[in-house]
Amino acid sequence: MATQLDVQSQLKLRPADRVMNLVRLGSLHASRLSFSRSLVRQMAREDWTVTTVRGDLDERGHGVVIYRLQTPHHIYHGVVFSQHLEPERRSDRVIAEAWDVTFSLVEGAVEESLLAQMAANVPLQEAGRQHPRLLVLSRANKSLRNFEHFVEALAAGHQPDPAWLTRVGYLYRTTAVYGNGKFGIADYARLQKNPDFNRPFSAQMFAVYLLRHFSIQQVDHLAQCRAPDKAVPLAPALQRYLGIGNSTGLGMAPFLINHPQLIQQWVYCRERALAWAREQSPCEESRLELMTLLRRAHQHFVETATEDSEQTRRNAATVDSIAAVIRWLDQTQATPDLWNELLDWADDTCSLEAQELINTLLIELYPDLIDSAENELSCEEILELQPEMRASALKLMIESQFAWALEYDPKNPDHKYWFWYRSAEKEEPRLGVRAEEPGAEKEVSLAIGPRIHRTHQLLDAFLDRAPRGSVVEFLMAHPGQKECVRRIQTMGATVYGEIQANLWHRDMKPIHLLRTKLSFFGASRFDPKSDRWVRVTLFQGAPLFCELFSDHGTDKARLAALDDWSFAVEPDLNSL
Amino acid sequence: MKVSFNELQGMGRKAFIGIGFAEGDAIDAAEMVAWMEAHGLGGVAALRKGLDYLLTEDPTETPTLVYQDADFSVLDAHNHSILGNASLAVELGYARARARGLSITKIRHCHNRVLVIGYLSRLARRGMNVTAFWRNSHEPLIEQVVGFKAGHPVPEICVYSLEDMPDETEKNDGITLIMANHVDLLPSLRSDYALTNLMRQTEEELEQQRDRALVEGLEVDDQLWKTLKSLADRLLVEASDASRSGAGAGSSDND
Repeated sequence: MATQLDVQSQLKLRPADRVMNLVRLGSLHASRLSFSRSLVRQMAREDWTVTTVRGDLDERGHGVVIYRLQTPHHIYHGVVFSQHLEPERRSDRVIAEAWDVTFSLVEGAVEESLLAQMAANVPLQEAGRQHPRLLVLSRANKSLRNFEHFVEALAAGHQPDPAWLTRVGYLYRTTAVYGNGKFGIADYARLQKNPDFNRPFSAQMFAVYLLRHFSIQQVDHLAQCRAPDKAVPLAPALQRYLGIGNSTGLGMAPFLINHPQLIQQWVYCRERALAWAREQSPCEESRLELMTLLRRAHQHFVETATEDSEQTRRNAATVDSIAAVIRWLDQTQATPDLWNELLDWADDTCSLEAQELINTLLIELYPDLIDSAENELSCEEILELQPEMRASALKLMIESQFAWALEYDPKNPDHKYWFWYRSAEKEEPRLGVRAEEPGAEKEVSLAIGPRIHRTHQLLDAFLDRAPRGSVVEFLMAHPGQKECVRRIQTMGATVYGEIQANLWHRDMKPIHLLRTKLSFFGASRFDPKSDRWVRVTLFQGAPLFCELFSDHGTDKARLAALDDWSFAVEPDLNSL
Repeated sequence: MKVSFNELQGMGRKAFIGIGFAEGDAIDAAEMVAWMEAHGLGGVAALRKGLDYLLTEDPTETPTLVYQDADFSVLDAHNHSILGNASLAVELGYARARARGLSITKIRHCHNRVLVIGYLSRLARRGMNVTAFWRNSHEPLIEQVVGFKAGHPVPEICVYSLEDMPDETEKNDGITLIMANHVDLLPSLRSDYALTNLMRQTEEELEQQRDRALVEGLEVDDQLWKTLKSLADRLLVEASDASRSGAGAGSSDND
């Protein structure tokens, strides 16, 4: 757990009020510390191998496929159930009850008895009871247009147009990827001592990566069934350019609030990486390398399309800013303080998303310095009370560390405009207008800011009565404050603490919460469908299983080349 | 049915909030139950036994401080389950021990006492040596001692029966907690009374049990799960057309 304030004094870490601002967090991009990047590096370095041990797909692509994963430590199996889905049942929402594919990652062997149990339950997802050897449970729906275009093109003997994957970068879109004990599957605690999947969400990331492999095999299979004499397999460059989609709504938001120590740790590791990177003295080679990365990212954002007007504006601003950065860098010498000058210049002239993109790309330059941080992205999560602390010290802590929370004004209706709740419809998380919709008395307590404000008010009154009182004495008088107090005490001792936003505020955009988490997953192509619903692409540009095998060599240069897949750009159709 | 640790903890938390617990108490209560069950100490059975009482208790009625000095506190839990906000009584003892080196806390008139073990593990994590003592039954006289060594995640537990009833004894539905900052307080079976060792569990056995539980899942009977689910459902808001749009999903999922 990073509480290294001593490190903060030595490193130029950005201040918490800047980093933990929700709009800035909602402008983050995937980085080399993102979980998908980290997983691919691990698979390549450790020579993970995947083989198909059962491939029972009919001419419509329906059936069961089982993959065997061998790591240096264990054996796992990925099991995919593919079925016909009536168009009217196709929904990304948690209230859906059927999907094109459902799949799972299993620890160890899949015996016939386990397969039968899975066949009866995995397709039901939340409605089934899952086996405790399942590490991940997930489902996905097809991108119908892409899917049909790909099968048709391959069956006709030519490659599909890459532009289709630029518009929608996948054949399948996951709508939930469950881990950590959900619906009976294995607890995360079981993976904590497992070197294969002890990093946050690494088992889930692997399951998604495996689905990408399945999607390639399935379109090849369907094209082959449709035109056995004419069909061609999907070209490797297009296989690489193919990602997996993810559709995410408000369900992702509670995680960010309910796991403050984990989020703090992710942000801290990223910020520390940035601080390390900007401390380095650039040479001409690193200046040119950064320009190369910027040019690719620029092209990526030039190509990125979304129907959302705000995201379109943001993407255009990123494109303009990055073009300006490239020009600026082109005219600047590699002086020892170049990185600091660049970041200061970007703060003054670039959009928020562009600023964070530059930070992301600067981190790319120093893998030897930064990559070991991926082992620090987990932490033990427990909010601890310090009952012996003086109540006056707690009040001071709020005023110094949580001043943002004291900006809440209970008399201002805009400050308590929204309320968060779970619906009776499959417990779907929703947002309601407090003054207009029923259910506020059942709200889920996600808005930490107003709660800290309330604690501060009560402390103020308590200290009038008992100036030398302790925290436990305060809590004996106000037992309902226990959770908030231990959260303040625990997070107040960390570098980045809480996301600094009032989640009740009328101007609050939940999509920033979603993007924060998705950026750490490694998502790209942010395509908002509303201010609380977004589609993204994972693993677009990532190397394929067949490219990871050590038969191709495990030297450092090759591993570095395999790792260089961020901000994918459209392959040239004529080169396929 | 088999459930995961995370499921039991999550369902418990929602159910306790549904009953009316404050969020912090609900989190602690759910953790106590799941922790006890995962370590083979009957968390689910204790919950099943105490749930009917819990539903009739007023969750806002807090333990009353009957007596305190610098290192000794007596609280009355008003015949409530330890799952409610009795955690604050425990924290009071912890704060006293931090200040004075050693503290004694007596919580009178409480039930579901065995579940307190799940909360004491928190104190041990924070570097406190803790011993809890209570009597499980009066006739025959059965006593239980639980000792956590500072920094250790699991305790040693002794349960024993006394063959000779002391002259001056009377029924006792309280629990005594002794906490020490700097010295071990592990239970050790030495007594002038003839006693029968009913159960002794070492730290190693409890950790093995936890590892097994993580592999095999935790057994919860269907009826209890159904009850917890219905309590948790008290927090759900009925759906309406307006609320369906509150999820913010798009109108078409085709792309």
